[in-house]
Amino acid sequence: MLDLLSVENLSVRFHDQKVLRNINASFKKNKITAIIGPSGCGKSTLLKTLNTLLMEDHEANIEGKILFDNENIDKIEKEKIRQKIGMVFQNPVPFPLSIYKNMEYALKYYGVKKDERKMIIEEKLKVTGLYEEVKDSLNKSALKLSGGQQQRLCIARALSIEPEILLLDEPCSSLDVKNTKNIEHMLLALKDQYTIIIVTHNLFQASRIADETLFMLDGEVIEFDLTENIFNHPKEQRTKEYVMGIYG
Amino acid sequence: MPEGSTSGFLRRREKVNIYKIIDKLFLYLIRFVSMISVLLLVFIVIFILKESLLTFEEVSFYDFVFKKGWRPISENPELGILPMILSTLYVSILALGIALPLGVGSSIFLSCMVNEKNRNFIKPIIDLMAGIPSVVYGFMGLLLIVKFFERKLSFSSGESILAASILLAIMILPYIISTCDESMIKILKKYESTSKALGVSKYHMIRYLILPTAKKGILASVVLGLSRGMGETMAVMMVIGNSPLYPKLFGKGQTIPGLIALEMGGASVNSIHYHALFASGLILMMMLMIINVLFYFIRKMMGTVSEE
Amino acid sequence: MKHLSIKLWSIISISLVMIIISCIFGFLFIHGYEGISYEFFIKEPNGMPLGSEGGVYNAIIGSICFTGIATIFSFVFALSIATYLVFYEKNEKIKSFIRFIIGIIAGVPSIVLGLFGYSFLVVYLKIGISILTGGIVLGIMIFPFMEIRFEKTLLEVDINLIYASLSMGVNRTYTFFKIILPICYKDMIRATCLSASFAMGATAPILLTGAVYYADIPNSIFSPAMALPLHLYLLISEGISLKNAYATALVLIVLLLLINSIPTVLDMIGGNKIVRFIKRRKS
Repeated sequence: MLDLLSVENLSVRFHDQKVLRNINASFKKNKITAIIGPSGCGKSTLLKTLNTLLMEDHEANIEGKILFDNENIDKIEKEKIRQKIGMVFQNPVPFPLSIYKNMEYALKYYGVKKDERKMIIEEKLKVTGLYEEVKDSLNKSALKLSGGQQQRLCIARALSIEPEILLLDEPCSSLDVKNTKNIEHMLLALKDQYTIIIVTHNLFQASRIADETLFMLDGEVIEFDLTENIFNHPKEQRTKEYVMGIYG
Repeated sequence: MPEGSTSGFLRRREKVNIYKIIDKLFLYLIRFVSMISVLLLVFIVIFILKESLLTFEEVSFYDFVFKKGWRPISENPELGILPMILSTLYVSILALGIALPLGVGSSIFLSCMVNEKNRNFIKPIIDLMAGIPSVVYGFMGLLLIVKFFERKLSFSSGESILAASILLAIMILPYIISTCDESMIKILKKYESTSKALGVSKYHMIRYLILPTAKKGILASVVLGLSRGMGETMAVMMVIGNSPLYPKLFGKGQTIPGLIALEMGGASVNSIHYHALFASGLILMMMLMIINVLFYFIRKMMGTVSEE
Repeated sequence: MKHLSIKLWSIISISLVMIIISCIFGFLFIHGYEGISYEFFIKEPNGMPLGSEGGVYNAIIGSICFTGIATIFSFVFALSIATYLVFYEKNEKIKSFIRFIIGIIAGVPSIVLGLFGYSFLVVYLKIGISILTGGIVLGIMIFPFMEIRFEKTLLEVDINLIYASLSMGVNRTYTFFKIILPICYKDMIRATCLSASFAMGATAPILLTGAVYYADIPNSIFSPAMALPLHLYLLISEGISLKNAYATALVLIVLLLLINSIPTVLDMIGGNKIVRFIKRRKS
């Protein structure tokens, strides 16, 4: 199995505070990898680093190597990396535009023609199951959608530019059970086309959808293995305690 | 690779992206404009400094600041602006003394004692006060305050330090109110429910929670009011009488901005008079800076209780 | 008892403030209204001494010219510096230096700026007393205020929106024009109008840089002009005409109110007609 994205000796510091220590991990193509761990352990920071968004934060000091398709991402243009590695945030962040314009936003930037845009937008909205719900009100403000719809719109928007990897930062933390289920189903369906890395607080969610699971604690990778092994036969004591709910 | 009707559309169009070019151009443009404006601002500061410092080749800094006597165009020019400095301080501090109790009282009313609807009605009216030009204030001051002094209190001349202070107090009121009100609202939002849960009355809360906690906001309004007041030109100039005397409550006086405004037109460029006007401007700015630094330290010393 | 005193204090304060405000406006409107006629707007100052008769037509035009130049000048610089500081400059030292300089300029009293304008622009550069000079000095005066407001508006934009945009490989400029500007432009218009009204009401900076006792309608930006605040000042200080002074003050106040109502009016129109128009065209 091919490693599409891998991280070597990655450390991140904010001033004197080390947020990530010496992370080594590689993420397999067309698999869902879940990153779990208690809050403040650096999961979200890791995700932001993978998408190079952390470089926008001038206070962050990043060391180590990130390889995308065996190429160091320092050598690739930031914009190109971000196009290949899409990201969805914890709280839905639709732009204050219409639904259609939200979808169109990045496509226009990449110079996609009008009819092609329309095709892509329909396709991606269908993938996220949103199309049936909003097809008559594409010009409605995206802010008027419900939370779950907004998050699915954000996923569709991230998919609109055909990334190869999709990063999700606790996408379901502000959603109800039904919407969470929706999104989980969708992610499983998307697995064939995309490589998915999802940060989650919800251990059951990780065990339901992830092929592999990475457990982090205090900015370090404690254990990274098949999901089944992490939950049923953890090698590390700390992993065992966490998945059993002793802390976190 | 994802297979589908739309895959690969990005690779086909990777070569030229107009937005990348625009990004570069825009960055250069605003960097250029920003650089120019910063240079311009630095230049203004340097220019004022340079023109003022030439004064001190003729007269010592000490004499300029601590001596009385303003005869800039005589054979042996006398350049001492102590009366103006004192008047400027006198007028603005007195104005602050009048405006602060009124301002703090009004902001208590605005932040704690009215509902949202009435507040949204009163607040814009007070903000409107800040928008009245200073000449109009001066005009009103002449007609209302000065005339009142002359007619009702039978002063020989109503133009006085007191008249200027009252007028200035009215002018800085909206600034004081909005600064205090802002910090009180912030505190109220933060603690209101906690305080209510303790069952204390609203006035108890105002007295023991809001007023002490808002003191930094009040201090900020003091600095703002003083800065505004000391730099105010037209309104004060119109009601103060403009005589370079030591300030007395009912006597005439002259502030530094008034001095500059009145004599700027008559001073020939590069004369000692002209440089002295710049120097008085510089002294005014230094006074403002000293006040700001002073209050900065007071603020720091006030300890840990704050609205932030 | 203690509580009663606080209650009394605040109620007396607010009543006093409201009385002062109504006195000022009442006085202005009642007396100003008597002096205002149609002629007052379209006639130039007349009579002996000048200004005792006639109107304020030139002063209105002059004031609008000064304000216009000041606003454009200040807007360009304020917007680019604010944008640059918030979105493009990464070096914290440069940022704090620029903010420090802007802070200093904000602290310079307007009369000192006028003095600077007079000696540098009028005398050294020999531009002369003109609308351009006066406008630039007014522009410098309102620049720090405008810049600080712009920066505040830009910083209030939810950082996650920016991250969401950047995470799709879109660059900053595209994000700025497509997302940030549409969110901020209303507040920016509001700040601009407020600054413009400050510029229009200011007298000290244009005393010797742009405004003169009497001038025709300006025919270029290099000619001097009259301005409402200075005209008002002269009418009072020379004791020319109390009636016209009231009327001039009222005209000035009304102009300022008009400028300040521009954002609200735009809001009202924008909320209905323009948006509906765009929607109709799109669908």
